[in-house]
Amino acid sequence: MESELLSTPQDFVPILIQLIVAAGFGVGTIIITHLIGPKVRTENKLGAFESGVEVIGNARQPFSIKYFIVAILFVIFDIEVIFMYPWAVNFREFGLSGLIEMFVFMGLLLLGFIYIIKRKALEWD
Amino acid sequence: MSAIITLSLLAILVLYLGLFKARRALLPVSLLGLVATVVLYGVQWGKTAEPLYSGMVLFDHFAVVFSVVCVILTILVLLLSKDYFDKSSPHVAEYYALLLFSLTGAVLVVSFHNLAMLFIGIEIMSVALYILAGIRKKDFASNEAALKYFLMGAYSTGFLLFGIALLYGASGSFDLAAIKEYVVSNPQGISPLFYAGILLLIVSLAFKLGAAPFHFWTPDVYDGSPILITIFMATVVKTAAIAGFLRLFYFCFIPLQDFWVPVLLVMTIITLFVGNLTAIVQQSVKRMLAYSSISHAGYLLFAIVAIGATSANSVLFYVTAYSLSTIIGFGSLILVKRATGSEHFEAFNGLAKKNPYLSLAIAIAMLSLAGIPLTAGFVGKFMMFSGVLADYQVLLVVLAVINAAMGIFYYFRVIVAMYFKPLDRDAIVVSGPYRVVFFLAALITLLLGVYPAWLTGLI
Repeated sequence: MESELLSTPQDFVPILIQLIVAAGFGVGTIIITHLIGPKVRTENKLGAFESGVEVIGNARQPFSIKYFIVAILFVIFDIEVIFMYPWAVNFREFGLSGLIEMFVFMGLLLLGFIYIIKRKALEWD
Repeated sequence: MSAIITLSLLAILVLYLGLFKARRALLPVSLLGLVATVVLYGVQWGKTAEPLYSGMVLFDHFAVVFSVVCVILTILVLLLSKDYFDKSSPHVAEYYALLLFSLTGAVLVVSFHNLAMLFIGIEIMSVALYILAGIRKKDFASNEAALKYFLMGAYSTGFLLFGIALLYGASGSFDLAAIKEYVVSNPQGISPLFYAGILLLIVSLAFKLGAAPFHFWTPDVYDGSPILITIFMATVVKTAAIAGFLRLFYFCFIPLQDFWVPVLLVMTIITLFVGNLTAIVQQSVKRMLAYSSISHAGYLLFAIVAIGATSANSVLFYVTAYSLSTIIGFGSLILVKRATGSEHFEAFNGLAKKNPYLSLAIAIAMLSLAGIPLTAGFVGKFMMFSGVLADYQVLLVVLAVINAAMGIFYYFRVIVAMYFKPLDRDAIVVSGPYRVVFFLAALITLLLGVYPAWLTGLI
């Protein structure tokens, strides 16, 4: 048992090999495509790729800060749900106190949500 | 624990008060809540403390005393805030709420018993401050302060997390007691990861404290932020940072003293010289106070260099003396700037003729910052120096005394401007709350200078 826990530098050789293979694959394919790939330079090929649709204007345009706000608010509630998965898995062990704690957590988030709505952070105009 | 819950709920309550346009109630409710928090801490005093919530927090005497100091300093800051925010923006409730959230983080930082709590506390404290530094949306300097503070603060958080991860990797636990157990029981076989972890933690905590060579954000952020937020950063946040620093090192790392004391010793000396030498050449009082706060971070580090049973008491005393004087210094700067529009030393010219009491309070604060006897600042410096002398670090004390002399030079420039540079000017109107704060702070500074025993036996 004791010998299994000890790790020597040799035990990490597979990781080293995998690292070399991974880096080598990336670097190698780039070099090979440069060497043997045909070189075609047209305007379409060098332009930005927009899922096949014709490119309209420049990508560097100012856009509304509302996107950021909505995205950040989304992340908060996303995280809330992520917290609930491990909680639900261990629900039986936590018992009543776990239920109360989760309600407290959700109650606080709900307070924040009401605040957001009242502050009109989600209204779009 | 009830105090932390009270603080968090208070902040949410203040947010909702703002939502329902109860603007007049904001300040009284915040102050009442903070007083209630102090009372809750007072009830806890003297009971045997045990780690709560799976060892996350521990409200021993150290934690209670420093939390109370943080809360009381916040009360003083909030008293100064009357009418202050109204001019910059309509979202006053949010500012109060953010200050309270930041205070909650500070309280967590001084009472953690688990490195995860240290991280969460520092983040709660800092994230609120990143916003508060930038509340003057139209002001270029305020924006710059917020961005600089955020970028550098986020970077230092990386150091903190990596340091915690390395400590965890070596000791297998986030819990302070378990880490201490690991250090004590393996005197020979401590993993190199652990040493690297200590160094990374020193980097990030010294950043929060504003100690050189991680101080570069301090002058610009202190200078650019609204003065009231600067007061909060220079007092409450610094108190929490040094208390958290001391708590971690006192709990866990004392057996490894030979490793980290030389590092901190060098940092302390650099901090003292950087802070004082740059403060001398400043023309703006706000910037001078910002650099002087760096040098005070250096004096505070003395307690960790000479770590021992008395460290907590000397830090408590020093931080109280420093914070009270800083509140007077920056608070009077708010008034002077309002009256003259300038933050330079010249703006204080001739103040003593028209505002004798205000000038007296400022003079007491500057004397205390400089460490003149009969003020709290002197006793604080005395405790720090004697602690280091007991550790036979004579060179450090000699350098520190040279620095204290430099400090006297630039603090006295304010006094000289007020008393000996006559100028025909109008009297500055000092409103009621400002009078109360200045009076209390000056009184406590003097009382502690004469009867230091009131504070020294607490922890």
